[in-house]
Amino acid sequence: MCLLIWLVIDIFLPCVPVSTAAEPWPENATLYQQLKGEQILLSDNAASLAVQAFLQMCNLPIKVVCRANAEYMSPSGKVPFIHVGNQVVSELGPIVQFVKAKGHSLSDGLDEVQKAEMKAYMELVNNMLLTAELYLQWCDDATVGEITHARYGSPYPWPLNHILAYQKQWEVKRKMKAIGWGNKTLDQVLEDVDQCCQALSQRLGTQPYFFNKQPTELDALVFGHLYTILTTQMTNDELSEKVKNYSNLLAFCRRIEQHYFGKGSSSIRLS
Amino acid sequence: MLFLVLIPLCGPCPWPLCLLLPSLQTYARFTGAPLKVHKITNPWRSPSGTLPALRTSHGEVISVPHKIITHLRKEKYNADYDLSARQGADTLAFMSLLEEKLLPVLIHTFWIDAKNYVEVTRKWYAEAMPFPLNFFLPGRMQRQYMERLQLLCGEHRPEDEEELEKELYQEARECLTLLSQRLGSQKFFFGDAPASLDAFVFSYLALLQQAKLPSGKLQAHLRGLHNLCAYCTHILSLYFPWEGAEAPPPRQTPANPESEEEPHRRRNQILTVLAGLAAMAGYALLSGIVSIQRAPSARAPGTQALGIAEEDEEE
Repeated sequence: MCLLIWLVIDIFLPCVPVSTAAEPWPENATLYQQLKGEQILLSDNAASLAVQAFLQMCNLPIKVVCRANAEYMSPSGKVPFIHVGNQVVSELGPIVQFVKAKGHSLSDGLDEVQKAEMKAYMELVNNMLLTAELYLQWCDDATVGEITHARYGSPYPWPLNHILAYQKQWEVKRKMKAIGWGNKTLDQVLEDVDQCCQALSQRLGTQPYFFNKQPTELDALVFGHLYTILTTQMTNDELSEKVKNYSNLLAFCRRIEQHYFGKGSSSIRLS
Repeated sequence: MLFLVLIPLCGPCPWPLCLLLPSLQTYARFTGAPLKVHKITNPWRSPSGTLPALRTSHGEVISVPHKIITHLRKEKYNADYDLSARQGADTLAFMSLLEEKLLPVLIHTFWIDAKNYVEVTRKWYAEAMPFPLNFFLPGRMQRQYMERLQLLCGEHRPEDEEELEKELYQEARECLTLLSQRLGSQKFFFGDAPASLDAFVFSYLALLQQAKLPSGKLQAHLRGLHNLCAYCTHILSLYFPWEGAEAPPPRQTPANPESEEEPHRRRNQILTVLAGLAAMAGYALLSGIVSIQRAPSARAPGTQALGIAEEDEEE
C-alpha cells in the first residue's frame, strides 16, 4: 500500500506545475557572462550591461559571475543569462518577461501608445546598434585580426582557439548576408549607427529618461550599448565618435552610471 | 523627369510578392513622383540583373530599395518633409519593428507554410514565369527563404519547430496590435498626410489582407483589428483605385518583352518535342528494339529447283 502511494507520488509529482510567480526574488541570483578582462566581446558586454542595468533599476540584487564557457551554458546560446532559483533565463527580452511574472515591472505606468513606441525603439537598437557591433567585431578585418580572434579564443588551447573563432566568424557572416548587411562597407555601417543615434537623441530630447521621469527597459538597453561603445577600446574610435556627437546621449549615460552603478566619477571620457 | 521601375509580374494577384515593391510604388504615389512601371517576368532582363530596379532619366541604374527611396528624396520627392525630428525617429523605430517581428512571419506564411506555398505562392510564380524557369525558380526561392528564416531565428531542433512557430506568430500578432494602438483613430500614422512609414506599413498589411490564403492565422488576427483594415482600404481607394478592383490578366499588359516571348515559346516547345522523338527513335534503332528488315533476294527459287532435280535423279 505504502509502495503504491510512493509510486504514485514519484510519477505525478514532477508533473505538478511549480508557480514561479509565487517565489520571491532570491538573494543568490546570479548573472553569467564571459571573462571580463580577456574574453568578452563588445556586443556581449553591451547585452550583459543592459541586463545588469535593468535589474538595478528594478532594485533586484544580482551577482555577476564570469565563466569562460558562459555561451555554451546558456539555454539559447546567447549571453548573458541569469540563474534564479531553479530557473535559467537568457537575453534581455525573456528576462524582462520573467521579472514581470515575479511582480516587478518598469513599464507598467506607460499607456498603450508609449508601450508600442518602447518596443519599437528596442527593436531599433537591436536591429541597428547590435548588428553594427557584430559587424565591426566579426566582419571588419582590422578588428577581427587585432582584437576579436585573440579575445574569443583566449581560454582555449591551440588549435581550438583558432577553430572556434573561425567557426563563429563564419556563422556571423552568414547571418549578416541573410539580413542584407553582407555587402555593406564600414562607412555605411557607421552611417547607420549615426542614424540610429540621431533617432535616439531626438526621441530622448531634454528628458532625463526616454519616458520622462522613470527609467524603463529601453533606457537599460540603450545605456548598455552606448556605455559599452563609449568605454571600449577598439582599433579605431570612429564608432564612439559617432555617439559622442550627441551630448544628450552622453549625459544620459553618465546619469545612469552615477545613479545605478554608484560610481563617483564617470568612466566616460571626452577626448 | 521620367523614371522607370521594373518589377516582377505576378499573374492573378494584383500585388507582387516582394514586400519592398508595393512600398516603393506606394511611396512614389504618395509623393507624386512620375514613375513608369514596367512589369517583367524574367529577372535577368532587368538592367541590373535583379528586381526591383530603377532607371533614372540620367541612365543610372539603382537596385537597392532604400537607395531608390534616397534617390527619390534627392529629387525632391520626399514624403517625410513635414515630419518633426521626433516623428522621423519614430519612423525608423517602427520600420525596425516591422522588419524584426512581422517580416519573418510573412516569409513563413507565404513560403514555408506547406499549404499556402503549394496552393498560392508557387502557383502565382509558376504561372507568371516563362518556360522553363517556372519549374525550378520557385523551388529555389523557397530554399533561399527557408535558409534566411533559419538564420534570422537562430538554430533550433526539429521538435522545437512548432513551438518556435507559435512564438513567431505570437510576436507578429503582438506587433500588429502595437501598430493598431499606435495608429489609433488617425487617418495616417503622422496626422493627415501619408509618410514613408505609411508606405511600409501599408505594403505589409495590404499583402496580408488581399492574398487569399488557405491557412491564414495572421490574416484572421489582422481582420480583427478594424482600424488597420480601414486604414488599408482607405489608402487603396485613394492611391490605387483601379488595381484594387480587378486583376488584369497578364497577357493584356502592353509590355513588349512579354509579346515577343510568345512565338519563341511555341518554337521552343516544338523543337523540344522533335528532339525528344528523334532521341527515342535513335535509341530504339541502336539498341535493336526496332530493326529494319530487308526484302528476300531473287536467287532463292533457283536453288529450290536444283534441289527438286536432285531428288528426281535419285528416284
